[in-house]
Amino acid sequence: MTVRVRSATKSFGRTTALDSVDLDAGHGVTGLLGPNGAGKTTLLRIIATVLAPDRGTVTLLGRDPSRPDDRTRIRERLGYLPQDAGFHRGFTVFEFIDYVAILKQMTDRRPRHDEVRRVIDLTGLASVSAKRIRALSGGMRRRVGLAQALLGNPDLLVLDEPTVGLDPEQRLRFREMISHAGEGRTVVMSSHQTEDITALCTRIAVFHRGRVRFTGTPNELTAQAAGRVWADSQRSAAALAAWRIGDGTFRNVGDPPAGAELVPPTLEDAYLLLMGEPDLEVTHS
Amino acid sequence: MTVWHLDPEAIRRYAQGAAPPELAASAEAHLMRCATCRDAIASHVDTRRVEAIWREVVDRADAPRPSWPERILARLGVGEATARLVAATPTLRGPWLLGIAGVLALSVWAAQVDERLLRMLLVAAPLGPLAGVAVAFAGGLDPTREIGLAAPYSGLRLLLIRTAAVLGVTVPIVAAAGLALPGSHWLAAAWLLPTAGLTCAALALTARMTPVVAVGVVATAWVLVTTPTAMAGHLDLAFGVGAQIFWLAVAVGGGLWLAVTRNTVTIKLGRSA
Ligand SMILES: Nc1ncnc2c1ncn2[C@@H]1O[C@H](COP(=O)(O)OP(=O)(O)OP(=O)(O)O)[C@@H](O)[C@H]1O
Ligand SMILES: [Mg+2]
Ligand SMILES: [Zn+2]
Repeated sequence: MTVRVRSATKSFGRTTALDSVDLDAGHGVTGLLGPNGAGKTTLLRIIATVLAPDRGTVTLLGRDPSRPDDRTRIRERLGYLPQDAGFHRGFTVFEFIDYVAILKQMTDRRPRHDEVRRVIDLTGLASVSAKRIRALSGGMRRRVGLAQALLGNPDLLVLDEPTVGLDPEQRLRFREMISHAGEGRTVVMSSHQTEDITALCTRIAVFHRGRVRFTGTPNELTAQAAGRVWADSQRSAAALAAWRIGDGTFRNVGDPPAGAELVPPTLEDAYLLLMGEPDLEVTHS
Repeated sequence: MTVWHLDPEAIRRYAQGAAPPELAASAEAHLMRCATCRDAIASHVDTRRVEAIWREVVDRADAPRPSWPERILARLGVGEATARLVAATPTLRGPWLLGIAGVLALSVWAAQVDERLLRMLLVAAPLGPLAGVAVAFAGGLDPTREIGLAAPYSGLRLLLIRTAAVLGVTVPIVAAAGLALPGSHWLAAAWLLPTAGLTCAALALTARMTPVVAVGVVATAWVLVTTPTAMAGHLDLAFGVGAQIFWLAVAVGGGLWLAVTRNTVTIKLGRSA
């Protein structure tokens, strides 16, 4: 396992952001799902060595990030896209990525510039590489964030909501880039987009109020909603959640009344059910 | 028609890049017109060298020209990677520097009016550069702090590079203000060693607290010790000969401590590092 987190607890003042969390992540894309404030960013920052847990153990790439030497070795093989990644807005795209490459200790100018060009091409930024970051659209900036995370082909890639604020086409491109990045290395990402998670992740962990409510594959999560989603001409009183879909009928999620017209569940249905019953705790291995 | 040709020795030296500039220039002018010499030179040229030159040309054309602060630093002999790190220091933005300069100009003007203000200015002078160091590391002002924290670059080295950059810019500004003081004698420079000492003390404290807090602690201690005596008209405690030697010792001691502990101490670059 590239990432191994055991009983990690982290509090900020009186808020418990993470409460005894376990997580394993190996090759492929592992997704963290959960509502606002669930603790996803806190866990990703711990995995990115930016934050240390108050209690619990973390092993990354076989090393212990609480030891300064190990931490440096981990950071040499780590790429991180923070949730609210900022930029030096006066830098051009090339200069900014080059700056991060320097922080990643690529000291020789020529090979460093080659690497900067490689990630710029990979993320489709070649046409704006000489533009100042302040002149870019939000989606383009998100690409700059992904580009810097890919510098040096890291073995562990930590992406906090990489697809937020992207239009559908760009989101597809990002999915492609991320799933490509997940081949032969470990990607841990968070998202609110259940479609992104379904499309990308080999494993998911669902968070709620600092605790892990589910770990397993996307199919295992979806299967939990089997028999609990039904179509009706009206909003059902028994439903935890119900919404009108394109053909005018209502999609109801919860405990169906007798004789309900069951429909196949999606990951989103299962996620809603899990959030509606937060005391439920499920772990698949 | 050309009647003369480059001699074999000149061709060899030019091809290896070893020709002095005048020879290279005249050889190039000749090569433009003479196919015979161009053929002769082709057999001498090291293909690896051509490759390297070509890559350099592509890189120059493709990588943007460094910004002017980076070019100035390069002129001063600073490595291009270090120059980029300096250029990313939040303090070194125009508005911030104009702010310091403005406050100082106002203080100098006030010091002309009231002599007690002059003494306050001396007390305040080291705070400008110190504040610059704090700003360089204030999390909210470095938009890429999180990315930097997750990168392997040594926190201490970054701290030193940025501190040197901040001092390099703020000290001349404060010094200029000092020179504009009424009856300015050695006092105009007397704040330099305290500044160095306070900065080193703050840097040494970064092993225990974040740079912003460390600067706050040091600055508070300085103000508490110097203000009452300066207001009473005694500047010796902070600026006398004994005090100057003391600050020199603090600066050297702090510097040595940083050098000795650089591999064992983790710099706390932010609240969460
Ligand atoms: N630096 C901090 N200081 C104080 N509280 C914090 C800090 N970071 C996180 N928190 C709190 O910890 C909890 C978890 O936050 P976190 O950012 O990890 O959630 P999240 O799952 O990433 O949410 P979102 O989906 O909105 O990004 C929240 O209640 C948040 O307010
Ligand atoms: Mg978050
Ligand atoms: Zn000739």
